[in-house]
Amino acid sequence: MLTRKLKGLIVASTVAAAALLSTSAVLADDLQKIQEAKEIRIAMSGQYSPFSFANEQNQIVGFDASISEALAERMGVKVTIVTTPFDGIIAGLLAKKYDAIIASMTITPERQKAVDFVGPYYHAGRTIVVKEDSPIKSLDDLKDVTVGVTLGDAHDKWARARGNLKVRTYKGLPEMLVDLEAGRINALVMDSVPVLVAVKETGQKVRIITPPESDGGIEGMGIALRKNNPELKATMQQALQDMLADGTYEKISMKWIGNDIR
Amino acid sequence: MDLTLIQRTFPFFLEAAWITVQISVLALLLGLLVAFVLVAARLSTVFLFRCLARIYVSVFRGTPCLVQLFIIYFGGPQIGLELEPFAAGVIGLGLNIAAYMAESIRGAISNVDPGQEEAARSIGFGRRQTLWLVTLPQAAKLMIRPLGVNAVALIKGSALVSTISVVELSYTAQRFISSTYKPFEIFMVSALLYIVMVYSVRFVVDYLDNRFAAR
Repeated sequence: MLTRKLKGLIVASTVAAAALLSTSAVLADDLQKIQEAKEIRIAMSGQYSPFSFANEQNQIVGFDASISEALAERMGVKVTIVTTPFDGIIAGLLAKKYDAIIASMTITPERQKAVDFVGPYYHAGRTIVVKEDSPIKSLDDLKDVTVGVTLGDAHDKWARARGNLKVRTYKGLPEMLVDLEAGRINALVMDSVPVLVAVKETGQKVRIITPPESDGGIEGMGIALRKNNPELKATMQQALQDMLADGTYEKISMKWIGNDIR
Repeated sequence: MDLTLIQRTFPFFLEAAWITVQISVLALLLGLLVAFVLVAARLSTVFLFRCLARIYVSVFRGTPCLVQLFIIYFGGPQIGLELEPFAAGVIGLGLNIAAYMAESIRGAISNVDPGQEEAARSIGFGRRQTLWLVTLPQAAKLMIRPLGVNAVALIKGSALVSTISVVELSYTAQRFISSTYKPFEIFMVSALLYIVMVYSVRFVVDYLDNRFAAR
């Protein structure tokens, strides 16, 4: 008897809490909360050089970090960068652990079901990386081999959809490069910029294959926000457009990437 | 081997190890507290309490700690529980280790010679008096080592909180690897720091165990 009463109590309080939570979410746009707190919390993995990575002072820097700072400055608030693993980054946004994701996230229809996107704030191409002496010469040769991808990113989906590849998922590029060298994977699929930066850094002997544009050559990256925040979305879109227009964006892009990737 | 890289980044590893120590110690304290409540419930004469404690231990030992952390951190807000990563980590690890510690403590209590309890009861000690004055003091010695094993498991398991964005020793290592591309050096440094922590605990456990076992 007592247990049933207790159970009823727990269920009732849970329902009440959920109802309270959802009503408050409908009433207030996140923009209002950000302006009240004078702080915007932006998530990135901190594991994606040169977009977000820890420098030797252990500060998170890079293209995504600089874009975050510049956007926050225009919104007149302080930015706090939260580093969180990429595979749980949307779950964290929905759980309100931060206000936005600026983490080189490809805008895809699946993700648009869960979150809203501002942007695209840059474009990147898909790149296939193989060892210099690999028999894989073009996209056509990429079948019945093992490829490495980052868990949960757009290339992961692409590689699985091809149907003739064995796909291994990784947390990040460094582990994939090690396994490519060790022969555990025959190729890796990734955005072009980080790969170019990484192989320059490691001096690893690789060959880069660029697939034709029809095969997802170019993708747009977006800033993810929780749904139902029209004011925040409009404000950030405006701030981004101003940055693109007045040269701020170009300066950031030149600093981290070496060319304008808008 | 890039030794200067280790030298340059080492201070940040120490800071990160300090976060791991903090999260482990806090989770350990929470775990001990909850474990003692669970043991009290297991020894209770009330059927419901015994039952709830048993369910708690089964659930927390029967599911991965990682899943428990995800439920608290990602699932929590849905039922109005909004926690910072650090707090979610302490609570998740603490509630998890409590189930194991409760079993360690219960095991120690049941390993006390039953003749001791019978003797105490036969000279007129009550149930409670027997527990506090006869059984528990003897069980205390027996639980030092198993609880030490739990503490070591907790420190190593604390690496799991890197998945809910606590920047502790493991996540710091992963972040540095992605900018330096030197996994060997960096994981070796973090492994070394884990060993230092684990052996500090073992040292304390050995000391306590020797001291009390000798009496």
